[in-house]
Amino acid sequence: MHVLLIEPDKILSNIYVRSLVGAGHTVAATMNAQHAIQLADEQQPDLVIVELQLKGHNGVEFLYEFRSYQEWLTIPVLVHSFVPPTEFVRTPLLTQELGVNDYLYKPTTSLAKLIQAVQKLVPIKAL
Amino acid sequence: MQQFQHTLNDQERLLLTVAEQLKVPFVQIAHLAEQSKLEPSSANWQTVRATAAAALGLVESYALSLRLHGNLDQPELVPMTVSSLLYDTAQELSQFAKQYNVELELDASAHLLPIMGDRAVLQSALTSLGYVFVEASTAVEKRSVVRLAAYRTRYGIVAGLYSSMPDFGADSLRRAHQLHGRARQPLQQLAASPAAGVFVADSLLQTLSARLHVARYHKLTGLAATLVPSQQLQLV
Repeated sequence: MHVLLIEPDKILSNIYVRSLVGAGHTVAATMNAQHAIQLADEQQPDLVIVELQLKGHNGVEFLYEFRSYQEWLTIPVLVHSFVPPTEFVRTPLLTQELGVNDYLYKPTTSLAKLIQAVQKLVPIKAL
Repeated sequence: MQQFQHTLNDQERLLLTVAEQLKVPFVQIAHLAEQSKLEPSSANWQTVRATAAAALGLVESYALSLRLHGNLDQPELVPMTVSSLLYDTAQELSQFAKQYNVELELDASAHLLPIMGDRAVLQSALTSLGYVFVEASTAVEKRSVVRLAAYRTRYGIVAGLYSSMPDFGADSLRRAHQLHGRARQPLQQLAASPAAGVFVADSLLQTLSARLHVARYHKLTGLAATLVPSQQLQLV
């Protein structure tokens, strides 16, 4: 599976790329939202992993743009963020409006759990 | 049921910002440890060491600021040169910068008069600021440069850190002061993180009657403090 990773921290980005590649995936990594759109266009990823806190345009802005394209509506999105998911409990923004398939809170997510969540989303793309 | 509501004061907002910031190095260290277990050959210890040192540096700086504001410590003013202060700051940041593939440049070649200041406070402030600039500068794909520089103006010696931040101005900093402890990214043009180092640096500088301000240097934008040269030391 080809993964588009949007992670603003270079050290974390390197760690996630290495883990994903180790699990048999290919990865295109970027640190900002504008470049992510360009990469999505060029590389047609099977899955997007995005941090909501980005420099400049944030992850929600990225998702609004990403989901505005018809051809990307079915690509699964995994939010992996320092923002606690509890901040979105009262709003359907991420799940209903932006089609987020899974949400992982970084401080409580191990690398093994991240890889497991990625594997779980593979069948979604296959459908 | 009666709801307890408490508005955070400035120190509590700073603590919250620091706590949010510290999640980043802790997650990095936890992941690096997990990765080392899975791949014993991976040489992660240098990154772990630099990350832990940066986290400890932020905690130390925050604690120093709190002690000074709470009058548990007093600033100790000694004669010093800004050039040596910048040099030592660059040394302290070097390992961290290397992990982020950021090049540190030092430019303190101008003839600068000595100042009276608390060396530990000023260096903590500049180092805290440096961690934010290094982290922030990697949000572009290519190798980045952070410049530590000092120059003279008619108000004093402007010492700070600079990088390429096209949309950053005095308004951004003013807004950030209002937002920190309330918003997750008070300096969104500069950093994806809560940029706690900026607010800790400002808090430290306040104990020396200085403030962080936006400054420009050779087409770069940065955050700096204006330090007043000592009239008495000029006569020595």
